[in-house]
Amino acid sequence: MISAHCNLHLPAQRHVLTYMEDAVCQLLENREDISQYGIARFFTEYFNSVCQGTHILFREFSFVQATPHNRVSFLRAFWRCFRTVGKNGDLLTMKEYHCLLQLLCPDFPLELTQKAARIVLMDDAMDCLMSFSDFLFAFQIQFYYSEFLDSVAAIYEDLLSGKNPNTVIVPTSSSGQHRQRPALGEAGMLEGVEASLFYQCLENLCDRHKYSCPPPALVKEALSNVQRLTFYGFLMALSKHHGINQALGALPDKGDLMHDPAMDEELERLLAQVPGLVNSITASPEASCLPSRTPPRVGSPWRPLHHSRKVDGESDGSTEETDESET
Amino acid sequence: MGIPPEREDVKQQVLYLSQITMKSHLLESPISKCPLYLACHHLKTERIQRDWERQGDAGSEGQKLTVCPIINGEDHLRLLNFQHNFITRIQNISNLQKLISLDLYDNQIEEISGLSTLRCLRVLLLGKNRIKKISNLENLKSLDVLDLHGNQITKIENINHLCELRVLNLARNFLSHVDNLNGLDSLTELNLRHNQITFVRDVDNLPCLQHLFLSFNNISSFDSVSCLADSSSLSDITFDGNPIAQESWYKHTVLQNMMQLRQLDMKRITEEERRMASVLAKKEEEKKRESHKQSLLKEKKRLTINNVARQWDLQQQRVANIATNEDRKDSDSAQDPCQIDGSTLSAFPEETGPLDSGLNNALQGLSVIDTYLVEVDGDTLSLYGSGALESLDRNWSVQTAGMITTVSFTFIEFDEIVHVLPKLKIKFPNSLHLKFKETNLVMLQQFNALAQLRRVDQLTIDPQGNPVVNFTLWKYYVLFRLSHFSMQKINGTEVTQNDMIMAERLFGILAHVASSELPQYRLISILGDARKKQFRYLLESKGKKPGIINEENNDSKRLVGENTNRATLNYTTRDFYNEKLEEIKEKKKFCKTYIEDLVKEATEINMKNEALQKLWPQMFIELVRDAVIEIRNKNSYMKLCLQQITDQK
Repeated sequence: MISAHCNLHLPAQRHVLTYMEDAVCQLLENREDISQYGIARFFTEYFNSVCQGTHILFREFSFVQATPHNRVSFLRAFWRCFRTVGKNGDLLTMKEYHCLLQLLCPDFPLELTQKAARIVLMDDAMDCLMSFSDFLFAFQIQFYYSEFLDSVAAIYEDLLSGKNPNTVIVPTSSSGQHRQRPALGEAGMLEGVEASLFYQCLENLCDRHKYSCPPPALVKEALSNVQRLTFYGFLMALSKHHGINQALGALPDKGDLMHDPAMDEELERLLAQVPGLVNSITASPEASCLPSRTPPRVGSPWRPLHHSRKVDGESDGSTEETDESET
Repeated sequence: MGIPPEREDVKQQVLYLSQITMKSHLLESPISKCPLYLACHHLKTERIQRDWERQGDAGSEGQKLTVCPIINGEDHLRLLNFQHNFITRIQNISNLQKLISLDLYDNQIEEISGLSTLRCLRVLLLGKNRIKKISNLENLKSLDVLDLHGNQITKIENINHLCELRVLNLARNFLSHVDNLNGLDSLTELNLRHNQITFVRDVDNLPCLQHLFLSFNNISSFDSVSCLADSSSLSDITFDGNPIAQESWYKHTVLQNMMQLRQLDMKRITEEERRMASVLAKKEEEKKRESHKQSLLKEKKRLTINNVARQWDLQQQRVANIATNEDRKDSDSAQDPCQIDGSTLSAFPEETGPLDSGLNNALQGLSVIDTYLVEVDGDTLSLYGSGALESLDRNWSVQTAGMITTVSFTFIEFDEIVHVLPKLKIKFPNSLHLKFKETNLVMLQQFNALAQLRRVDQLTIDPQGNPVVNFTLWKYYVLFRLSHFSMQKINGTEVTQNDMIMAERLFGILAHVASSELPQYRLISILGDARKKQFRYLLESKGKKPGIINEENNDSKRLVGENTNRATLNYTTRDFYNEKLEEIKEKKKFCKTYIEDLVKEATEINMKNEALQKLWPQMFIELVRDAVIEIRNKNSYMKLCLQQITDQK
């Protein structure tokens, strides 16, 4: 059943177990609700949602970051949900973006967002406003490759202080000299590290890293035009690189970031139902909020689930919430 | 007196004249206009009176006296009249030792002097002069009438020996206060009109005083004339032209304090007026007491709020400390509660002391403890401090609760408020306006919690203590999530159609994703979670009456009534969330082992299967070979089979 249905992303075979475990866990948590729903059905839906990338919605952070596929799904979900904010042209602070992230994942850690913001703002004033696309691409790099980036940061620090992580350091009296060499020298000294040396270290890292890394070839491309770079300069280059974005496959190209015709259509439909905007209320059950102070309407589309369970044990709840099929 | 007893007629005339003097000065008209006075001219007996009065005709100034003339051979003179002259000094009259009445009205006298021999003097009229000081009256012990009106006198002095004085006129002078009146044991009338008097003293030392005229002075409160209340003889008083007479409480205060009065401002006091006065005075007293109580309450409230604010600040600092110093977390949280309690007690130990027990009856619904405050003020329920949340459990009268339309939360963590929202919904069904100040609203998510309420018309989030207001999108998110409320106002500004559209435009897709893209079981579980929590609170409330069960039904219907596509956007407070995650840990562990077992099983079976696959051809060949070998010899095979069958039986 598993392999038949799913088309899992990237080296996901080892994550099948993760999903199995999570599925069983979900089942345990909600067994009263699901047991009447049908276990086989539950599993179908679960793995369908894993394929579609909706399984991470409103889940805890430990699950969201558990697999690369989850991360990609989360990025994609964030983009789809809040593309409209970007389209509106609002510039938001790091805290506000974090808030939006929290709407989808309640315990999303602040430091990740902070790190992402640092990439955009080049470690400058953290209260600055950022555009949606800037933030989103930086966040993508930070979130998807977070372990990789931690290692890169360590390498960068080493290079900055003069130590080459590739060389084996034999503890002699001269190793003290290494440490004493100043990281940033007198005025006129170039900042950052040498690009080619940096790239060598990265290549080694990618080889032995067990977490996902950006494709080395693309990284080389990103580094090709510069002699020296800073840490955040590097990250910024990564985030702006189209190839890496495409390799990830979560977000569209920067130019198309605001395009999502399917969702736009959906949005128009929703907007049409804002009270007061239309004269006649459509038959769609979604238009359940009538204007102003009228009391709750009768015949609302979705009967309370507890009741329906008691009354009609064989209710066939459909997947679409608009479809009324009880009794 | 200098009149021999046999001259009774003279005596009578003098007395009569002095009465006239007294009366005419009351009218402030020159004595010469009185017909009887003129009649004296015609007394044939000893000349009793000389009169150098000039009527002050225009152009006849040259004829006015500038000095007192020397009078010889008139030692029996009784009345002397020097009105309307230019006399500057009283002199040359010391030989007229039988003088009874001396009239120096309207002259230019600057000092009282030259009177020391006039021991019989009974009437001294010095009105309309330039006298600055009352002095040199020591020997005039028989003085009956002293008229000093229209001078420049600033102080009452040197009259304490005038124990026969009945009328004292100090009108139109420069007096600023009244005192030093002791010794005037016969005084019946005291005229102090047209001065600058601000307070009056010693009047209660005047045993015979009946008439007191204080018109046109500067008296503004009854306290400054409080001695009047102690004067039992006073029956006639005037205050018109004083600031006190403009006050609303003037009449009844005076009447109430001076029950002995018969006439006020030249008008008789009726019984009706007296009655009204006492009624009004009682009301005033009530009002004063009430306002005193009110101000006490206000003070207490202010102190309590300050206290709550301080605790809140300390708590916020403590949280910040914990956030920044992870390793010192335990010691911090252990120490600080003691500190907080300590500081609370030490800062306000006495404030709770002097309050009368009637305080609690004073203001309905006011309950004041040091660490929180609950206040009901008409249609507003205000809660300060997290302890106040418990007050929602109280038995609120239906009337009071029904009147509440605004609920205000201050210095309370929003997460704590979330837990009591179901209670709020039940107990205060008409609360339509919610206000939050210093409640630590930091995430847009928290607004999701408000969706469970029945209805909210207005929302006010004070920027102080609520960082969420700094976000650009917060209002739109509120409008989006709480669209089913059709809110009218947020932070005082009207919600426009454009706002609603913008909110929908910004977050509509979120709602769509949150509903239609979630797998069905997730929807069920999320909504189930939310509803379970609500029911938990309903069940916990005391007395599960049938009414409440109906509530549940209605509420669940209502839940459905809200835009279902955003019903999954819930808010779980941090504590609950962590609790849940803790609970899940166990399950996760179990699942992991369970799956591992399954995997092991599956791999074993798979291995077995593979092994079987490998071995099967060989096994199959062997099976076939065995079977062929068996039936090679037909006869023996048949025998074998029959044998087997019989064996079976």
